[in-house]
Amino acid sequence: MAAPRKRTLPRKPRPTEPPPPAPPRETRPTAVVDMGASAIRLVVAEAQPGEPVRILEEASRGVLLGKDTFTHGRIGAATVEATLKALEGFRRIMDDYGVVRYRAVATSAVREAQNSDAFLDRVRLRTGLDVEVIDGSEENRLTYVAVRETLRDHPALVSGDALLVEVGGGSVDVSFLRKGQPIRSGTYAIGSIRLRQILASWQGSHEQGMRLLRRHIHNVVDDMRRDMPLREAQHFIALGGDVRFAAELLLGGKAMTAGPRVLPKEPFLAFCDHVTAFDVEQLLERYHLPQAEAETLVPALLAYRELLLETTAAEVTVPEVSLRDGLLLDMVQVEDAGGIADFSRQVLASAAALGEKYRYDAPHAKKVAQLAVRLFDDLRAEHGLTDRHRLLLEVAALLHDIGNYVNLRGHHKHTQYLLSVSEVFGLSQDDMAVVGNVARYHRRASPQKSHLPYMALDRETRVEVNKMAALLRLANALDADHLQKVKDVRVLREETDWILDVEGAGDMTMERLAATARSDFMTEVFGRRLTFREAGVRAWA
Amino acid sequence: MGLSAPPRPRIRRRRQPELFINRELSWLEFNGRVLEEATDPTVPLLERLKFAIITANNMDEFFMVRVAGLKDAVEEGETAPDLAGLSPRQQLKAISERAHEMVERLDKTLVDEILPALGQHGIQITSMAALDPAQRVYLSRYFTAEVLPALTPLAIDLSRPFPKLSSLSLNLAVLLEPADGETEPRLAVVQVPGLQRLVRTVGGEGTTYVLLEELVRSELPALFPGQQVIESAVFRVSRDAALDLDDEGGGDYLEAIEDELRKRRRNQVVRVQVEAGVGEDLLKLLARRLQVTSRDVYRTRSPLDLRAFLQLVELPALEELREPVWKPLNTVVIGEPQRIFTILDQRDILLHHPYESFEPVVSFVSAAAEDPDVLAIKQTLYRTSGESPVVQALARAAENGKQVTVIVELMARFDEQSNIRWARSLEEAGAHVIFGVRGYKTHAKICLVVRRGAHGIQRYVHLGTGNYNDGTARVYTDFGLMTSDPAIGEDASAFFNALSGYSDPPRMKKLVMAPTNLRDRFLKLIERERRRAESGQAAEVRAKMNSLVDEEIIRALYDASRAGVRIRLNVRGICCLRPGLKGVSESIEVVSIVDRFLEHSRVYYFRNGGDEEVYLSSADMMPRNLDRRIELLIPVGAAERPKVMEALDAMFADNVKSRRLTPEGTYRRRKNLRGDAPVRAQQLIYRKTQEAAERARATAVTFEPITTPEAKASSS
Repeated sequence: MAAPRKRTLPRKPRPTEPPPPAPPRETRPTAVVDMGASAIRLVVAEAQPGEPVRILEEASRGVLLGKDTFTHGRIGAATVEATLKALEGFRRIMDDYGVVRYRAVATSAVREAQNSDAFLDRVRLRTGLDVEVIDGSEENRLTYVAVRETLRDHPALVSGDALLVEVGGGSVDVSFLRKGQPIRSGTYAIGSIRLRQILASWQGSHEQGMRLLRRHIHNVVDDMRRDMPLREAQHFIALGGDVRFAAELLLGGKAMTAGPRVLPKEPFLAFCDHVTAFDVEQLLERYHLPQAEAETLVPALLAYRELLLETTAAEVTVPEVSLRDGLLLDMVQVEDAGGIADFSRQVLASAAALGEKYRYDAPHAKKVAQLAVRLFDDLRAEHGLTDRHRLLLEVAALLHDIGNYVNLRGHHKHTQYLLSVSEVFGLSQDDMAVVGNVARYHRRASPQKSHLPYMALDRETRVEVNKMAALLRLANALDADHLQKVKDVRVLREETDWILDVEGAGDMTMERLAATARSDFMTEVFGRRLTFREAGVRAWA
Repeated sequence: MGLSAPPRPRIRRRRQPELFINRELSWLEFNGRVLEEATDPTVPLLERLKFAIITANNMDEFFMVRVAGLKDAVEEGETAPDLAGLSPRQQLKAISERAHEMVERLDKTLVDEILPALGQHGIQITSMAALDPAQRVYLSRYFTAEVLPALTPLAIDLSRPFPKLSSLSLNLAVLLEPADGETEPRLAVVQVPGLQRLVRTVGGEGTTYVLLEELVRSELPALFPGQQVIESAVFRVSRDAALDLDDEGGGDYLEAIEDELRKRRRNQVVRVQVEAGVGEDLLKLLARRLQVTSRDVYRTRSPLDLRAFLQLVELPALEELREPVWKPLNTVVIGEPQRIFTILDQRDILLHHPYESFEPVVSFVSAAAEDPDVLAIKQTLYRTSGESPVVQALARAAENGKQVTVIVELMARFDEQSNIRWARSLEEAGAHVIFGVRGYKTHAKICLVVRRGAHGIQRYVHLGTGNYNDGTARVYTDFGLMTSDPAIGEDASAFFNALSGYSDPPRMKKLVMAPTNLRDRFLKLIERERRRAESGQAAEVRAKMNSLVDEEIIRALYDASRAGVRIRLNVRGICCLRPGLKGVSESIEVVSIVDRFLEHSRVYYFRNGGDEEVYLSSADMMPRNLDRRIELLIPVGAAERPKVMEALDAMFADNVKSRRLTPEGTYRRRKNLRGDAPVRAQQLIYRKTQEAAERARATAVTFEPITTPEAKASSS
């Protein structure tokens, strides 16, 4: 998973720095900036260790990044200027609070823009803000962080299956939660602005236009159904401005209590149908909405509606949270945990679900994962990798054989391909590229310069992949029979060789042969020869 | 989304002119009430003089702005009637009639009462003829040395255009014998120079003044050597100022007027004041050259242009001719400046100026400027001078490295230079200065302080009904609220972000902002009372404002009245609502108070079925405030409510300085029944404030700090 980058701003110098008298509480004002498809938003909050995050200020500027990107593929000059102006203002607000820690992210509207690099460079030069483009899975993870916090004891997260849906301007982000753990997640390109764009050149009647949208949404929902068991979801959690607006209209006013708002299914569907009958002009007049929101409301509600109907949920749960809350919580948790937010549980659950989709041999996968991690832990001093690598290795180990679903022949290559187009909750596309490479080298050829996906990694990452792949290869060999005979393994360091102290039951000839054969890569990477020794048995060779 | 009023459905209403009072005539009635103070023998003499001067000044502005606008409308061929059904032409006629009456009344008071009474107290304004020879010689020398060099007599004939006389300047029109070989007398104009108008002379008893124009007149033969002066008359022209007036005592240029139009309008003479003794020939000649009709001519016996008389009002002696001084009091003992934040952590502070000193507000800003824990200060400034201690504190704050944001609303254009200077100096000190918001005037009065406190970052807010102007804070009645209420703090931040363009206008928790939501909120609050009345509950609206002009609000009040809501309004100035109309506004009562302090605070009270709501605001109920200004409505917390209500109640209990609006649109003093104790609201409030100040002094020992937010919540 992407390690959230912590950034710091240079502080404005103070001409006179009077010594502070009474000790006011050391505050840690933190800011997050979220560049979405139709607005750029800022939250400044105070995060005291061990205390709930306290929002100090929120600001929002309507900037139609999505309209540019999803129509023309790039962000136009006027929108760039509007963005810069908005961010300059935000920067001032941040300075008002002396913010030094912040995280600024951009989602699909920037991610998909052809000129995103130039755009973000201008942002950095003009405002000093370093904006990070995050992908759908990171968005899903951050949203989940926020939802997990607000719905901590809510039935939707405690028992059964829940579908977590956010219809954004550029994409629909969906996570399937089982007892609160995300096991599947996906990002689908049917955001409300994109959908609205479909209608931009539509000449037919309003009703026909709406049918067109529905059909479009249905096609994507078909894809989702293949990715996750939508039917099994008994809870439907909806995030996003459009559904919040619906909740406010249906339930009246702004939520006064902190808890989520709950919209029963039938009134919600009726409301969707009611609103769908209006065109943008009518929406503007009726609800006094800003133009951008009037344009997205109907497509977004249609998407929620169609997805809700796929589930067995009797109501829509609308928590008052957003990506920004997730960003803030994530930053705080990262700090509290000394640098890493611990999502390994969710990541692994999601990986296992992906394995199930491709009918993996679960006991074998889990055994390999266990052994790989064991080896990883034993050799920390030698490989120098971090906990994040450990998690990626574990995921690679769990999924190394999914290519069998396509064909047993060359299955390691199929594995790599499948992983490159799959999402595992909490892992970015960069992470998945690492996982795919590690998994690919669990057998057959070691990395070659002719292997394109491998060479697409930077040098440092290739070295890391080598180390992880070597461990995976060995771990896989230790369950060569797929019978989980090996209980545990330890690495004993002798002068020049390492001794693999294997504890197990039954005949381990297969494992010994495999381990010996596949330790080649270990030797290449770590410069040590490996000797297989069954616990309590004298070393062979 | 930009900062703008929400789109409003256009409802075509039936015109009901009988339900409304014309705003210009209503304004004249207000000025009539000021005039009443000048004529009131129970008012101390110098205060009477002051009210006379204010009446005349108000009239000057009224002509240059409102009458000018109407004249312009007539010229443009506009005939559309106003709310009260009067076309521009009809309005001008009605204004002229009423204004002539008032000018006559003012004239009489000055000539027959005030000036003679001043004479009895040793302040003589005499004619040259009444001087003794020694005095005349003295003045003649003064004239030659000081006045003559500043004079430019202008002979006028057909070959020369009539000189451009500046608005509100004093002039002498001189009629000269016809030149050789001609039959018509000639006209000449001498502008009275801008020197000391009241020329003090030596000798005599007490202090003797001669008006400058009289001195000039006495020397006319010297100015026109060899020519025979037939007659001379002092006159004064008022021109279209192309300004819009506001309630803060200043003028704004009309934004919509294009340059050409403005130029034309500024040339137009809208009123000529001339001394009563002017001969018909001279007057006719003058009127023709100035292009005015007899309706625009006002003859007076009293001196034209009373502004110079203000120096008499301010003479240091003669205390007995003035109201006793009401020194602004302190009801909050703050002690060390930084303690203001400690106090605000515990409770709100509500100040009623000028009964209470403006000092705590100044020290709020200066404490913030010096406090090392303060991170940022944001403030609106409307009509403030560079000498203002608030401005200086903000500059200090910026120099101390605070983030300072100031939203400055400049005064009318003629003041821009000096304004820009101090605004620039704020910028140089490091403040972020924003020169207003396009299309809207920032009229809200708010100051936000962001500070690191014991419980993390805290916000402190001052909100007021009046400007951050320590000068007007001594004369205008205004409320100011200081609070650490987190919801108001958040709203304040959101407000500044919206105005700075950092964020789209947000939804607010407690404050309500114009032009986005204030009109709707007012309508909803009034409607809520109506619904309560309809369901048989006691329902009441009480409000205090400077002007009530907005049609939609007035109609909502009529609807509420029809439903039986009790409505008591204290409208100091213009009121277009007609109270006491059968079946329309029977339950509406409107009073107006004109007294030594200018009533300026805006307070809005709604009974809300017993769960009372009280608001302060920078806004009047005028379309200008609700649609074209940035304004704030401020809820008053339960603890501070009694103080506001006490003041509001005093306004309605007043039977000395209060006048009641009749259904006909006139104002009557309340008839006091025998035995009614006189109640003078401003005096009553000052007395209560004195008591509060004494209590504060007596108890200003310790404050018990509350250490948990829960305790704070339960204590408020």
